Amino acid sequence: MEDFLVGLAPPLIKGILLGGLYVVIALGLSLVFGVMKLINVAHGDLVILGSYFAWAIMGWLGIDPFLSLVVGVPLFFAFGFLVQKFIINRTFRISLDAALIACFGISIVVQSLCQVIWTPFNRSLLTDYRLLTFAVGPLTIQLRYLLDFIGGLAVMLAVREFLRRTYLGRAISAASQNEPVAERMGINPNRVYSFAFAIAMACAAVAGVLQGLTFSFSPTSGSPFLIISFGVIILGGLGSMAGTFIGGMVFGLTQTLGAYFSGGSLLVQSIAPYLLVFVILSVRPQGIFGR
Amino acid sequence: MKIPRLTTLASVAVLVVLALFPVIGVSLSWLNYLFSFFIYLALATMWNLLAGYTGLICLCPAAFVGLAGYAMAIGTWVGVPFQAGLIAGAAVAVLFALLISYPVFRMKGIYFAIGTLVLPEALKAWFSFWHPVGTAYQGGGAGYAVAGVAGITLGEKYWLALAIAAASILVVHIILRARLGLGLTAIRDNENTAASAGVNIFRLKLSSFLIAALIMGIAGAIYYIHNPRIQPTSGFNISWLLLPLMATVIGGEGIEEGPIIGAAIVTFLRFLLADYGAWSLFIQGIILVVVVVVMPQGIAGLLRQVGAYRFPLRLFQAAEAKIHKT
Repeated sequence: MEDFLVGLAPPLIKGILLGGLYVVIALGLSLVFGVMKLINVAHGDLVILGSYFAWAIMGWLGIDPFLSLVVGVPLFFAFGFLVQKFIINRTFRISLDAALIACFGISIVVQSLCQVIWTPFNRSLLTDYRLLTFAVGPLTIQLRYLLDFIGGLAVMLAVREFLRRTYLGRAISAASQNEPVAERMGINPNRVYSFAFAIAMACAAVAGVLQGLTFSFSPTSGSPFLIISFGVIILGGLGSMAGTFIGGMVFGLTQTLGAYFSGGSLLVQSIAPYLLVFVILSVRPQGIFGR
Repeated sequence: MKIPRLTTLASVAVLVVLALFPVIGVSLSWLNYLFSFFIYLALATMWNLLAGYTGLICLCPAAFVGLAGYAMAIGTWVGVPFQAGLIAGAAVAVLFALLISYPVFRMKGIYFAIGTLVLPEALKAWFSFWHPVGTAYQGGGAGYAVAGVAGITLGEKYWLALAIAAASILVVHIILRARLGLGLTAIRDNENTAASAGVNIFRLKLSSFLIAALIMGIAGAIYYIHNPRIQPTSGFNISWLLLPLMATVIGGEGIEEGPIIGAAIVTFLRFLLADYGAWSLFIQGIILVVVVVVMPQGIAGLLRQVGAYRFPLRLFQAAEAKIHKT
């Protein structure tokens, strides 16, 4: 029994830490989903674009990926604002389906752009601290997973404070709770959508760096992240930061524990999150905390 | 004897001319283009049935295509001839659709879209590790070759593709003029109202879903007779969704002739951009976004709007009136 628990500890810790990465990705998705009720199917690819951006800056100027975010976050923010303003807001006026199809088009464009610029080969952000480990008592912890957790916590707190304390943040919360009433209070929905998408993109830039440090990536590796972060949103509920955080942990744990109990099977590791999303969706079709 | 309508006669004439193409010596490259066109057309028509008429944004055509292709390919390895494999593949696709129907129809709108998006991804992961038959060099990520199809001429494959494309259009044509089509459009427009008017939502959605799975499965299997090698990354590729989606959106969603126009454009783009690798996808994505933003009705919708059909239709009607008089 003791051996069992000792063996179980590493995947448990790894799963919880990995959850931080999923929290960052899911936060961007849930902001957009909250205000527009639209799943941005390009979100996973935008995260991968963030990874490539950091990778390119690193190869070009030799700057640490985290430092490159000083440029990356504003750049992604501006890009997101423009995409929402000129593409998604226009399609959103037509119908939700049109907006979904536009997002799908953006996903294809981002994916193929990454492939054209950076070739389809696997890359990873090779910093010198990438593979560092350190011991806490009997456990060894990998630094990159710890960074995921810290990143997840930091972004979550930042988004929470932003939503609570700034005018724009409150406007976004208001629009996601009840849009017609928010509009009557003088909130311009199109503007709120644009900022929500811009912030989602900024989150994607941060998530891209964390993702690139944790896993290797190729232009097509975005879709699992989209599906997992969608699962996190349904599990955690909209607008609940603690829920999102727990959802992220659950998905991190599904992956690491699934791999552990199947003897390190890659199949289980890759298929378990999909099954979980599908099961959650079919049991509670509107999400666990769906309104 | 009742005189058949001119529009029916015209469609039959087009079909006959197309069917004669391999016999009258149309060049092989043109047969090849048309083969792809027919496959895309069948997929797009079915996607239009789901998205345009039933209101189901179904993101899992890749699951039907991949499963049918795999069923046929694996079948040929254990001695099942590909003709039987074609039917078995379609049966597997329908069975899969039936299995997932209960959970996915509980989801609505955007949840349905994501729920169906998960399926091809999960299948891709599963088939990347699965070795049912063959040696260590087959199965898994390497996939399977479809055995025993080397002797089939392009002309025969062309006829198969033509048959499935014609069948798909005919099926949608019939559905739209039957009670089923009326119920489906009612569901698309407002599910709750349709339900309160006595439409059996689950059964109708299921019918259109199964029909789509059947025809998409057959079309996918025919594609893999022509390109006899299936891998998880090709069988469950996102392009199996992109093709019908693009064709439907460009041509006109919820319009019968939309997929025909759209599929022609998509096929043209595919072969035009074939040498440009990833740029091809890039350009297709840009076109998709531009079309959704600029003309969400699609080309067929635009044509209807400007009344481009009025003149030929009037000609048809005048001709018909003359025939009936004599």
